[in-house]
Amino acid sequence: MRVLFVCSAGMSSTIAVNALKEEAKKNGIEIEVLAVGTQEFVDEVKNGWDVAMVAPQIRHRYSYLEEAAKEANVPCALIQPQAYSPLGGSRLLAQAKTLFEQRR
Amino acid sequence: MFDKISQFMDEHLSTPMARLAEQRHLRAIRDGIIATLPIIIVSSMFLVIAFMPNQLPKDWALTQFISANIGKILLPYRMAMFIMTLYAVFGIGYSLAKSYKLDGLSGAILSELAYLLTIVPFTVPKAGETVLALAKENPDLSAYLGTLPGGWLISAKNLGSAGLFIGILSAFFAVEVYRFTQKSNFKISMPPQVPASVARSFEALTPTAIVLLVISTITLWYGIDVHAFMGKLVAPLVTGTDSLSAVIIICLLGMFFWSFGIHGWSIVGSLARPMWLTLLENNSTAYAAGQAIPHIAAEPFYQWFIVIGGSGCTIGLALLFLLRSKSAYGKALGKTAFLPAVFNINEPMIFGAPIVLNPILIIPFIITPIVCASIAWVATSLNLVNRVVASAPWTLPGPIGAFIATGADWRAAVLNIILIIVSVLIYYPFFRLYDNKLLTEETNNNIE
Repeated sequence: MRVLFVCSAGMSSTIAVNALKEEAKKNGIEIEVLAVGTQEFVDEVKNGWDVAMVAPQIRHRYSYLEEAAKEANVPCALIQPQAYSPLGGSRLLAQAKTLFEQRR
Repeated sequence: MFDKISQFMDEHLSTPMARLAEQRHLRAIRDGIIATLPIIIVSSMFLVIAFMPNQLPKDWALTQFISANIGKILLPYRMAMFIMTLYAVFGIGYSLAKSYKLDGLSGAILSELAYLLTIVPFTVPKAGETVLALAKENPDLSAYLGTLPGGWLISAKNLGSAGLFIGILSAFFAVEVYRFTQKSNFKISMPPQVPASVARSFEALTPTAIVLLVISTITLWYGIDVHAFMGKLVAPLVTGTDSLSAVIIICLLGMFFWSFGIHGWSIVGSLARPMWLTLLENNSTAYAAGQAIPHIAAEPFYQWFIVIGGSGCTIGLALLFLLRSKSAYGKALGKTAFLPAVFNINEPMIFGAPIVLNPILIIPFIITPIVCASIAWVATSLNLVNRVVASAPWTLPGPIGAFIATGADWRAAVLNIILIIVSVLIYYPFFRLYDNKLLTEETNNNIE
């Protein structure tokens, strides 16, 4: 599963990325995760990602990011605030899996 | 009750307001300027190095070397931060064109053209006969004439932050003309037999011609100094941003959005950053010229004295979770959230604690930055610490960043540490309350 994270500058999501990776490892799921800032997202999302996840603190940019994801045919969702913390790994993984199912 | 009010406010106030900041022109300014930050950060280091001798013992060889070569050391800064608008315009034009799904590079180049046309080039007039006659008898004058540059020149003044607002408008104008010509088919169209790439090269001619003619007419031929006009227009805005009340309003707005879990700093920054950059560049220019530093509230002032450890000056809260937590959740959070907080990343805590929509922690989250801002403002006004002159990477630990941003002033690092202590003290009672609440919940769960 290839997951693309996006936050304001691609910094804070790196921490959530690690939480998600650890959780996936625990569950024996092969996963690749990359965190980018909003500017890079529009181009990066075209590079064959399975799932795009948007950090909660930039939800005011969600519609704009979702549009880019839609064009690239990547299912996209806003990360639940409770999942967006170093301790939210299991919630993150569950959300990523649900999104993964929606992929066409 | 609290949940209902906060949900209502989020749906009807904070989220719609935050969306306003996503308006495409504002977004283009933000993205264009952010793209220049690496240039500003790296080149302002030359500024810090050039003025290190003020802080070092005079008899060191290093001190003497730097002092002797200060002009040369500053040259990279002169070609980078000193003319930052030249770079920002490119980024703004690119972003705006992309937002219209037009070719980004064409938009960027057209913007740069529009902007440069607002700056009138000139030549140094040749010395007249009387001057030449005098120079024959005066070797000093003769040597001076020899140093005068030939050819066409442009002044760097309006390529820096002084030209920022004209730069922004130039990019808007250029890209809007570009968009208009593309949309309205008001362009040179080729018959379908002509290859697409050839046709495109003609299409780009119309917007270029319009931009060139309109701006040249205003600035080069009519000779209207748009930069002087704009400077007068935005002067109150820039000086207004450099006041304690403006700093407090900006902090309150930023915290308001963050309280709902929206990146407040990025929203407020979209609007304030052109002013912040102008303030910072005025400071660095004065610093490089050896003059008194004019402004206090440039962006690094916020970075190193107000948002230490992240928005809300949460470094104190991170320390408390790490060292004083009794609940299992608090301990786990402290362990994972403290290190990012050292590097000013606090989303793990904002969403992990959480601070978002948490009636206990929101109070110190709003109060702490305002108290820190006031303390830092007073300390800076009294010249107890230097004013900020350079931009340090925002992910540096607080005291180091403060030291660099103030041109290597160790007192700024001390102020940063004092403010961290202030943060701990203000957060403490609220942290205690919240941690106890977590602890009670945990023990209740265990009993059940």
